[in-house]
Amino acid sequence: MTDRSAARDDLALAVAILAPRGRDAAVAAALLDKVGIASVQARDLPALAGLVGATIGVALVTEEALVAADEGLLQQALADQPSWSDVPFIVLANGTSRHRSDRAKARIDALQNGVVLSRPLHAEELVRAVRSALKARARQYEARDRMHELQTREAQLHDSEAKFHAIADSVDQMIWSTRPDGFHDYYNHRWYEFTGVPEGSTDGEAWAGMFHPDDQDRTWARWRQSLETGQPYEIEYRLRHRSGEYRWVLGRAKPVRDATGRITRWYGSCTDINRIKVVEEQLQLMLGEMNHRVKNSMAMVHSIVSQTLRQAETLDQARMSIQSRIGIMAQAHDRLVKATWTETAITEVVEAALGPHRMSADRFRVAGPDLALGSKQALALTMALHELATNAMKYGALSVETGHVQVRWDRDDHAEPIGFRLSWQEHGGPTVTPPRRQGFGSRMIEQALAGYFDGIAELDYDPGGLRFELTSPLTGLTQQD
Amino acid sequence: MSQPRNAVLVVEDEILIRMEAVDMMHDAGFRTYEAKSADAALATLNGTSDIAILFTDVEMPGSMNGLKLAAHVSATWPDIRIIVASGILGVRDADLPPGARFFPKPYPTDQIIDALHQMTGDPA
Repeated sequence: MTDRSAARDDLALAVAILAPRGRDAAVAAALLDKVGIASVQARDLPALAGLVGATIGVALVTEEALVAADEGLLQQALADQPSWSDVPFIVLANGTSRHRSDRAKARIDALQNGVVLSRPLHAEELVRAVRSALKARARQYEARDRMHELQTREAQLHDSEAKFHAIADSVDQMIWSTRPDGFHDYYNHRWYEFTGVPEGSTDGEAWAGMFHPDDQDRTWARWRQSLETGQPYEIEYRLRHRSGEYRWVLGRAKPVRDATGRITRWYGSCTDINRIKVVEEQLQLMLGEMNHRVKNSMAMVHSIVSQTLRQAETLDQARMSIQSRIGIMAQAHDRLVKATWTETAITEVVEAALGPHRMSADRFRVAGPDLALGSKQALALTMALHELATNAMKYGALSVETGHVQVRWDRDDHAEPIGFRLSWQEHGGPTVTPPRRQGFGSRMIEQALAGYFDGIAELDYDPGGLRFELTSPLTGLTQQD
Repeated sequence: MSQPRNAVLVVEDEILIRMEAVDMMHDAGFRTYEAKSADAALATLNGTSDIAILFTDVEMPGSMNGLKLAAHVSATWPDIRIIVASGILGVRDADLPPGARFFPKPYPTDQIIDALHQMTGDPA
């Protein structure tokens, strides 16, 4: 147990006094107290060892107390000090070194940071020695504080980096970073997930090998430009995915600068935009196709109007003809939109075209296998059937009760290439005479339809009943431009 | 006996529009040849000698569009006059060979027929 004249907080700047004989301790304490220096009494060496462990400021000890047996406790306490700490010792010796025992010498040497004052004690000497020792001790505390600060900063930095890594690895982007010279030295986990390459294998300039060969020159040039000018980097390119295929990504990077404006690092990312690119491409394709469709439809309307006007005998006739033809075309359009302008079934097209002309069952006998038609072909066939039916109603088989029309189509697998044939045969109508001139209908049928199917169309004005036949390769049903 | 050089070669891939153009030519008294692509047009030009005028669209499938076809024809058969008709915008004079004329779509029929007559030296 120690007697203390100072609170525990002030131990750091207090003097521990171990001078058990006579009035030495009291005298020393009084001397120090007079100049405002706190002190603590230690009863024995173990107690002093304890105070060393408790971070005393300075230790003041008499030679005889120092040589007492203590089972190495003081030595242990000295060895256990933290690296910054070296408690200054002031040893009050009895005489000169010539009269010192070997044991005393050894003990004093073992202190390492010890100073020897000879007794009798001079007040001024003691005070100066203690003050000097306390100042040195204060420097040690400063060093300790600075070291703690550095350790705190290091821990914060470590935390900060851990935080960065956690964020960088959690976002759904590939993140990378380079030195100011462009040397890639960091990639987040997403990069390695995407590319499937071993960690570190794309460091330096090895990243370029992951890019599509056709994109390498372009991206190198752009990267070099950014490195030289400090301007942000942004470019689309194809990056090799771990599956072996290339995917479009958007690569971006920005520099980080120090207080003088010098670039210290580049931070960049790669965003997978492959789906967007694919959709873009598909959109472009679709727009191109729509363009064709619209062009074709406009041409058809233009033709309907122009041809009808050429041929009609009165404006009224022209109007009715135009209206009915454009009406049929509009319906056909609707069906095409519902089928998203891809293919429709020929049966549907035939039934829809003939529908308005079916006055009763059995006037039309329709038969044929299920085949797909492209949109252009569907429109043209609709218009052609409409023309044939209108004609049949006015002058042909459908103008009498007993007449009927047979519509048949089939594929010809024996032909080379595989063929298609569609025929329209009228029965039981009045005698057929060929028209004096070609109208929209017959031209649509013979020329346009044949053209779209890449085949041949024939209108045969057989007196027994009008016959129409379309022959083409099977591929003609769905060919685009 | 060779035919007089007064036929028009109509080059247009869209059938209905080609029909329209051919009608226009016939109405004006011209004979016509038809082709649905630049390649087909060149085959026809190589096989006949009575074509006086090339009447071509611009956008066509195949190895050449109408402007390239016009340039090629102008260089190879300098006597053949050229009319380019198209719905696309932005065709400049610089895109046409010398002496060629451009008309938009839909066809301004009267103007085209006038041009045809002028080009073949017919009194309109």
